[in-house]
Amino acid sequence: MRLLRFVARRLLLLVPVLLGVVVVTFLLVRVLPGDPIRTILGPNATEADAAAARARYGLDQPLWRQFVDYLRGLGTGDLGRSIQSGGSVTSELALRVGPTLELVVLALAVALVVATVLGIWSARRAHRIGDHSIRVLALAGNSLPDFWLGLVLILVGYSVLGWFPAPSGRVDPDTHLTPVTGADLLDAVLTGNGPAFGSALGYLALPVATLSIVIVAPLLRSVRASALEVLRSEAYTAAAAHGLPDRLLRRGYLVRAALSRLPALAALVFGFGIGSTVLVEYVFSWQGFGQWALRGLLFRDYPVVQASVLVIAAGYVLVFLVADVVHAMLDPRVRI
Amino acid sequence: MARATRPEPPELSRRSVLQLGGGMALLVATGGCAAGGSDDDGPDDPAAATLRIAVPSYPSSWDQDFVGFDLTALMLYKNVFPYMIDYGVTTVDGAEVLDTGTVVPTFAESFEPDAEQRVWTLRLRRGVTFASGNELTAADVKWSKDRAFAAQSNVAGIYRTIGLTEADQVRVVDDYTVEFHQEFPSALTRQIQAISLYVFDSQEAQAHATEDDPWATEWFTNNPPTGGYFNVADAVQGQQVELTANSGYSGPEPAQIGTIRLTVVPAAANQRLQLQNGDVDIALGLSRRDAQDLREAEGIQVISAASNEQVAIQMSVTTAPFDNVEVRRALAYAVPYEQIIANVYGGDARPTQSLVPLDMPGYDPRGYPYTHNPELARQALDAAGVGPVRAELVFETDNEVQQQIAVLVQSEAAKVGIELELTPLDPATLGERRGQRSIALQITTGQLWVNDVEYMLATSFVEGAALNYSNYTNSEVEQTYEDSHTIVDEAERNQLWLRVQEILAEDVPWAIICQPNFNLPVREHVAGWVQPMDGLARLRYLRTSA
Repeated sequence: MRLLRFVARRLLLLVPVLLGVVVVTFLLVRVLPGDPIRTILGPNATEADAAAARARYGLDQPLWRQFVDYLRGLGTGDLGRSIQSGGSVTSELALRVGPTLELVVLALAVALVVATVLGIWSARRAHRIGDHSIRVLALAGNSLPDFWLGLVLILVGYSVLGWFPAPSGRVDPDTHLTPVTGADLLDAVLTGNGPAFGSALGYLALPVATLSIVIVAPLLRSVRASALEVLRSEAYTAAAAHGLPDRLLRRGYLVRAALSRLPALAALVFGFGIGSTVLVEYVFSWQGFGQWALRGLLFRDYPVVQASVLVIAAGYVLVFLVADVVHAMLDPRVRI
Repeated sequence: MARATRPEPPELSRRSVLQLGGGMALLVATGGCAAGGSDDDGPDDPAAATLRIAVPSYPSSWDQDFVGFDLTALMLYKNVFPYMIDYGVTTVDGAEVLDTGTVVPTFAESFEPDAEQRVWTLRLRRGVTFASGNELTAADVKWSKDRAFAAQSNVAGIYRTIGLTEADQVRVVDDYTVEFHQEFPSALTRQIQAISLYVFDSQEAQAHATEDDPWATEWFTNNPPTGGYFNVADAVQGQQVELTANSGYSGPEPAQIGTIRLTVVPAAANQRLQLQNGDVDIALGLSRRDAQDLREAEGIQVISAASNEQVAIQMSVTTAPFDNVEVRRALAYAVPYEQIIANVYGGDARPTQSLVPLDMPGYDPRGYPYTHNPELARQALDAAGVGPVRAELVFETDNEVQQQIAVLVQSEAAKVGIELELTPLDPATLGERRGQRSIALQITTGQLWVNDVEYMLATSFVEGAALNYSNYTNSEVEQTYEDSHTIVDEAERNQLWLRVQEILAEDVPWAIICQPNFNLPVREHVAGWVQPMDGLARLRYLRTSA
């Protein structure tokens, strides 16, 4: 009950946060230099043509009126029409969010598993060669630019070894996957499409690996540091001195305590991962949310930029909410 | 003490070994399955074959009346919309190129003027159908043109140059005949209509029109047009478009290949890898350097052709100190033309001596008498008497070629006393500043869609022209442009263009750098590429060699 109250309270907080984001984004995007209308007009367009295009997108209205119209649309789930494509931003967003979320969630999941396993393993061998090797490798992965790492993995995994599909999409079109959520792997499961599942998994392997390698280092360091603290604690020393079996020591004393700091960090890394997808999506022809938002920004496509920032803000708030709940479940000292 | 608390490392259990091995096997199996084989052999039946083309982006919209300058989308429209007329094909130096001097009916039966060349009659081919089964009739042409005028966008803008400004000027005569009543005769009509006469399925459109959306923009944004040389068989948003040849087309030169798959691959490095591996047959987004490297690659040929693309530095004649013609001359003499052609284009570009493109009717080498000559540049600067010159040189963000040119020009200009600050701008900022006409110097790259000096003047050298970033005006050029509207005799027109080039040589609003050649790396079995002078590939000519 207390947990539900906490979640409800935090969800209520979403309203003022998102309202603030809406106001700030709406104003900031219009302060940026750049005219979105000029980018969609042909070379022979006159000022009258430009004025007609502005009127078509409501940009001829006073700012307050545009804002009221935008808010009214938000209330009904209408995020406006893209100036570049003329299409519904809500529909475009729905198509773009799924693939990116799938990529980031899977990469984060892989990174969390790797960080947990290797972090604890490394802590238990602190200052030995295995520990040093893992720390150096993680640091190296963290230092590599993601687009470069992606290209190297493509070169090796696709071009040299031929193990992975060409980086041109997310699933083989010949598998005739019916989109449901936009997340192809999930859609393959939901529609029971086995070939599409295998294909989507193949396409996901390299971008997930790229993103995981880039984000694993801070997670691994956190787990290792926490595990070292536990290993050096009096409670753990006493338990070990009493001759408790290694498995019990590891599961009962070490793992849970070592993971207590991970949720908050993972939430931060999730945000970083969303940002990193812009380049990863470009390299792997992923056509997800990152590329869509970047194009919107480059062409000052106001409705697209506003929708992108709103989604990212909402995503951050929700991810931190989940992180707080998980933290409370892992660490009994935390009261929510 | 610390040593006593350190636990023993766990032994690798049999279970964990199995888990690890299983995981690796799954990864390899998945990769292996998904990778698939790459078959580079040409198919037995070329018409039934599939060509795979990598493109840098997915079309931003399917609605040609409202789309921005999106080359992928515009190229697709050329192939999926029924265009009533189009350019013919000619051979130049062994390469097949679109012939802008010949405009032929395609989905139309004929397109001819009256004796005064003011009223043009379009006669439609009977039995041409859209994918819906509706026959293409005069009502579709009329509806499409009404829509274009209402959109006040691309087509409405270009129609002004041939004296079409109102929807009423397009009149239906009968089910298969439409007349275009121009305000004046124009030598540009055929070329302007070749790039504008695309037709929507108006019955399908009206079924999706609403009171708020009478032109069915929502429908056409998301649904590909039909009835062209190809129909869109499948479109996976953001990833792939599959075209199949339109078997219902009964006119000349139908599509030579059954299926074309356009796959979105934004990164040029990936396009190159996929081309080398045989996963795509044509890569439409490779850099000049990639094309150069691939000349020696196994299984790949690089198609080369002369291009009408112009690279120039536009100088704002209304912004000090470039409002002084001597300063403009100084910069024109300071630009290292040969160095740019050698270093940036690897020698694969043509030097040019006029602001009128090479190969355009009326081109005269007296049109641009400037070569790299630092001494003359210094003299011109002294004659200007404006003191030290400082200015920003704007180019497109992420345009590697323009950046290289900017660096070379900056270096050489500094030697004669012109200090340039390099300013890369993103598309929206560049568009806005161009609209404000507030850029002193900018590098421009582009090709004219209509191969005629009148069109060039209309877009680039008369007052208010959209591409006239130099803010250039000259009363004699304006008058010549006005006079040219009604002159259709070629020799007479060429006389006008000679005088225009003399004036431009005198006023030097641009430093014209070169015309780079076109290069396209394709797999060896690809044949039939026709170099489009408007940059929009006609896919119907493509085929696979047996």
